[in-house]
Amino acid sequence: MNLALKDVRHNFGRFLMTVAGVAFLVTASIGMIGLYRGIVADALLVIDRIGADLWVVQGGRAGPFSESSAISSDMDRRVEGVDGAAGVRRFVQISQQFEHEGRTLRASLTGLDYPRDTGAWVPLVSGRHLANGHFEAIADASVGLVLGDVVRLGLDDFTIVGVTRGMVDISGDGLLFVTVNDAMAVAQRRTSEEVLLARGASGRATSGSGSSVAQDSKIAAVLVTLDPAADEAAVRRAILAWGDANVLSRADQRNLLLDQRLWRLRIQILAFTGVLLVVMAIVISLIIYMLTQEKRHQIAMLKLIGARNGVIVGMISVQAYLIGAGGLVLGLGLSNLIFPFFPRRVVIDPGDIVLLALAIAVISGFASLLGISRALKVRAQEVLS
Amino acid sequence: MSAPVLSVRDARRHYASGDTIVRALDGVSLDMRAGEVVGIMGPSGSGKSTLLLIAGLLEPPTSGEVLIRGERVSAPDAELDGLRDFRRRNIGFVFQKANLIPFLTAAENVALALEIDDVPARPALAYAEHLLDSVDLGHRMGNLPARLSGGEQQRVAVARALANDPALILADEPTAALDSVRGRQVIGLFREIADTRRAAVAVVTHDPRVLDLFDRTLELRDGRIVAETVA
Repeated sequence: MNLALKDVRHNFGRFLMTVAGVAFLVTASIGMIGLYRGIVADALLVIDRIGADLWVVQGGRAGPFSESSAISSDMDRRVEGVDGAAGVRRFVQISQQFEHEGRTLRASLTGLDYPRDTGAWVPLVSGRHLANGHFEAIADASVGLVLGDVVRLGLDDFTIVGVTRGMVDISGDGLLFVTVNDAMAVAQRRTSEEVLLARGASGRATSGSGSSVAQDSKIAAVLVTLDPAADEAAVRRAILAWGDANVLSRADQRNLLLDQRLWRLRIQILAFTGVLLVVMAIVISLIIYMLTQEKRHQIAMLKLIGARNGVIVGMISVQAYLIGAGGLVLGLGLSNLIFPFFPRRVVIDPGDIVLLALAIAVISGFASLLGISRALKVRAQEVLS
Repeated sequence: MSAPVLSVRDARRHYASGDTIVRALDGVSLDMRAGEVVGIMGPSGSGKSTLLLIAGLLEPPTSGEVLIRGERVSAPDAELDGLRDFRRRNIGFVFQKANLIPFLTAAENVALALEIDDVPARPALAYAEHLLDSVDLGHRMGNLPARLSGGEQQRVAVARALANDPALILADEPTAALDSVRGRQVIGLFREIADTRRAAVAVVTHDPRVLDLFDRTLELRDGRIVAETVA
């Protein structure tokens, strides 16, 4: 008979409470790892989906995600002329805070180079992609807008024509797609006082751009789609030769994000996960040790009636593994229930769960060793005490 | 005449306590034969329980030896942990407290002793039920210990002690927690077991009301047998 299972069934409430405690630690571990995975997934979302082979950014910089980048607004025309470039699109992304129906909303305003890019690469849950050059927007559900909403950005009203889900930037702000020209108009909006003050300071009239304030270009990058037969290195060399532009591949962008911008976060989350696993090891070890202490009399009795050490070791280790396995299953269930409601994406990766299961198996083994070493010291005659 | 089931030869058990030596057992010799029920009496600290521990292969004597069915199994140099299998097959124990596993039913508590001896689960449970029937607990075999009275728990402990059909049963004050009627029932059960199963039974007790059920009564004082009464 399986003594561990019998004991668990007899003390099911206590077992459940113990498993629940371990499950919360497992949930926290899954959350920590999932949060990191989520941040990475969010950070790589645009890079992976936008379909650019090369990113032409400001010279000497590694923009636009790792550093700021501003290139001249006609850079796309220059890149278009490079041999091997099959298509170019301007890219702009700015953080925007705005009022809507009495609420303050945040979004990462992302420009689509309409009509070359209608946002067809953006997966919609409802509505359509852009069909006009102005005043239409595709919003991620996390922004807080729904299909048909009209929202004021800068000086203009935009109608939400499409809704996405899970499209956010590295800081978790939902993406709000408009045309590049509209995005620049929103970014370049100035108050009339700013314009007047700037005019007074410079003593000259404003140009037709509507502002006397010095305007950095809001174009952060030009996305290049290469001709299938193009030599990527040759295209790169040609653009770098201009001196005012830098060229990054998709792989470069990924590496910049993962190994530079996010590396501190990676180490931090790894450290926290390590601390949680150590806490879990201590908690399970203490639980098993206390359960063993509680059973000293029964263990002495088992020894008295001639039970081999294997029977006692089995009772303790099976219980430790049941606690670990129960904690993992319940923790995974809780994670799937709770994390979808978290404001940031928490990615539950099957590979991470397998690794966590292995870690819990090692922890349960270590915990049971502590209990087993105590149990093996129990003497049969203690049954008389 | 067959060899005694239990032979204790000039057993001594001395403990160091500070500068003094405590002589818990001081040269006790004892033979017990199959079918014999022996009562062991004496005041607290007289060495009764120490004798039982040494006879039960739970402690080695400081000097002397223990033979079971003629086989020398314990002496000062004995490795008692290695005698677990021997103990399981030859000795049954009953104590003042029944010491039942609280998360096992009465039948499972008895069957456990058999499963530990590699008897498959189903026949082990069937035999456990038979043993519980024989101690009039057939109707309680599915109950957990917490649902049994003290007397019933003690009878389950007796059934467990009988599970491996041991030649020797050692009982340390098995009636101490029971009223006189139930106490006498338990000793009566030992008498029956000795008669029907030909087991040798040693019972440490303080209860003079059950002396008539013993074949012999030994009285211990200061670690020595000072009197022996044959019924």
